[in-house]
Amino acid sequence: MKNRKYVFLLALIPFLLIAFLYEIIPLAMVIINSFQPDAGGGFTLENYSTVFSKLLYRKAILNSIKISLLSSSAGIVIAFLGARAAHEHGGRLNSVFMTVLNMVSNFAGIPLAFAYMILLGNAGFMVNVGKEFGISALADYNLYTTNGMSLIYVYFQIPLSTLLLIPAFEGVRREWKEACTLLGGGRNVFWTRVGLPVLMPSILGTFSVLFANALAAYATAYALMMNNISLLPIQIAGCYTGEVKIRTGLGGALSVTMMVIMVIMIGITNRLSRQFQKGVVRK
Amino acid sequence: MKKKNMGAPIIMIAILIYLLIPLAVSIIYSLFEKWTRIVPEGFTLGNYVTLFTDQAFLACLGRTVVMCIIPIVLTVFTVLLALFVTTVYFPNLEKYVQIICMIPYTIQGVILSVSILSLYVASPTFLSNRVVMLFGAYCIIILPYIYQGIRNGMRAVNMPMLLEAAEMLGASKLYAFFKVIVPNILSAVIVSSLLAVGIIFGDYVLVRNLAGTSFQNMQIYLYQTMKSDSTKSSAVFVVIMMVTFVITAVVLFLKSREGRQHIQKRVKE
Repeated sequence: MKNRKYVFLLALIPFLLIAFLYEIIPLAMVIINSFQPDAGGGFTLENYSTVFSKLLYRKAILNSIKISLLSSSAGIVIAFLGARAAHEHGGRLNSVFMTVLNMVSNFAGIPLAFAYMILLGNAGFMVNVGKEFGISALADYNLYTTNGMSLIYVYFQIPLSTLLLIPAFEGVRREWKEACTLLGGGRNVFWTRVGLPVLMPSILGTFSVLFANALAAYATAYALMMNNISLLPIQIAGCYTGEVKIRTGLGGALSVTMMVIMVIMIGITNRLSRQFQKGVVRK
Repeated sequence: MKKKNMGAPIIMIAILIYLLIPLAVSIIYSLFEKWTRIVPEGFTLGNYVTLFTDQAFLACLGRTVVMCIIPIVLTVFTVLLALFVTTVYFPNLEKYVQIICMIPYTIQGVILSVSILSLYVASPTFLSNRVVMLFGAYCIIILPYIYQGIRNGMRAVNMPMLLEAAEMLGASKLYAFFKVIVPNILSAVIVSSLLAVGIIFGDYVLVRNLAGTSFQNMQIYLYQTMKSDSTKSSAVFVVIMMVTFVITAVVLFLKSREGRQHIQKRVKE
């Protein structure tokens, strides 16, 4: 009987085969490659020193962090307002809201970049509207910069973050609101003193998902600027698919840097959210 | 009280408008010949006609469908087997399966594609075949979604009890798993598979980095027509969005039906 049980381990083989071939070994190799020269063999930290000394890569790292922080912050604020509105307002509008959010949550990458080119590109619809009515903010909008592009990043953050935040609002109880009103607190007092602190762990968790999402976004940026923009994912892909020879060492070091940035962000948000959970327990 | 209720709809409508404007503008763009001023000119369906008579486009559509089906079937089957073995016989291995399944969440497309590429590109075996690499990468990228869908489904049906009941009636565990459990979690499997279809359908980075532009899927096709013909590409855009929306609508429908059944069950109890 005992032996028969172990026969079933065989059923794990297909799963492990796929996981090792296409997930674990490739990732391990990227990390190993990052400590080796491009030619292979030996151990070196040269790749990392290139990443942190060359202006191009330093700029890519900073740009990526900047656009991720910016778009995630904007996304989380809009998501908070949106999810709160959905929480307070039921009915038909709410179900339309949820349906649209779900629908556009897959609207990203190349199609999204395309839609924004039509909207705000050099001869885009909004740009024409801006010219016609003399709105310079629209007429002179330049989509093809890191700042201009962040509007697209904000776009794809909104459905994701709102959908992630809405369930958390179920934890905000009606009694708390009533208690707050009885004690003389208005709506703003309730949300700043009670609602936000209670929701903070979910907000921070969502923020780290958004950050990772923006950091790894590739297609949008590539569709607009091809390789002419310094962002981490673009530079990483460039190391492997460029016309020049494949640079596994440097690409590995950049990939590891990107993973480390993500892990740091997850660490920070986890730490902060523990602070808030502690506060809840202490009370 | 009145005032409080006004703010919420305004915010929701504002967000809805922000989310729908790019879609609306692109759809209008695909239906007209020219749109260089405020008002578009010359209504036409020509873009769609040329698109659906374009052999290259139809080939892309077919290729994308194949690229969706094979990895999803493969992943669903292997995850089902793995979860069967771990939940029934080796519960202590389950957390390792979970870790493996959740890693792709954090690494995402770019790193996954370049790591697979650099590992196998020089391999003398069939592993260096670009399409094989792409299949492998798709299996991994959809893993978290498939895993969670199946896992949640299993939790919802009280699997140990069902298996025990089936065994008492003389079925083997393996038989019971595929004849009793799998049909019961079928809707969870379908929902997660559809989510996976959405992901593969929207993929650009994996196919570009692994297969190059020679292997066109819908996204690559859109990218390439975008460079040459913007009205035609807006029609491609609309087709892509329509497919995505239909997938999401089916997912939403299945989920709400499942939710309703759940509530009904609870009410009966």
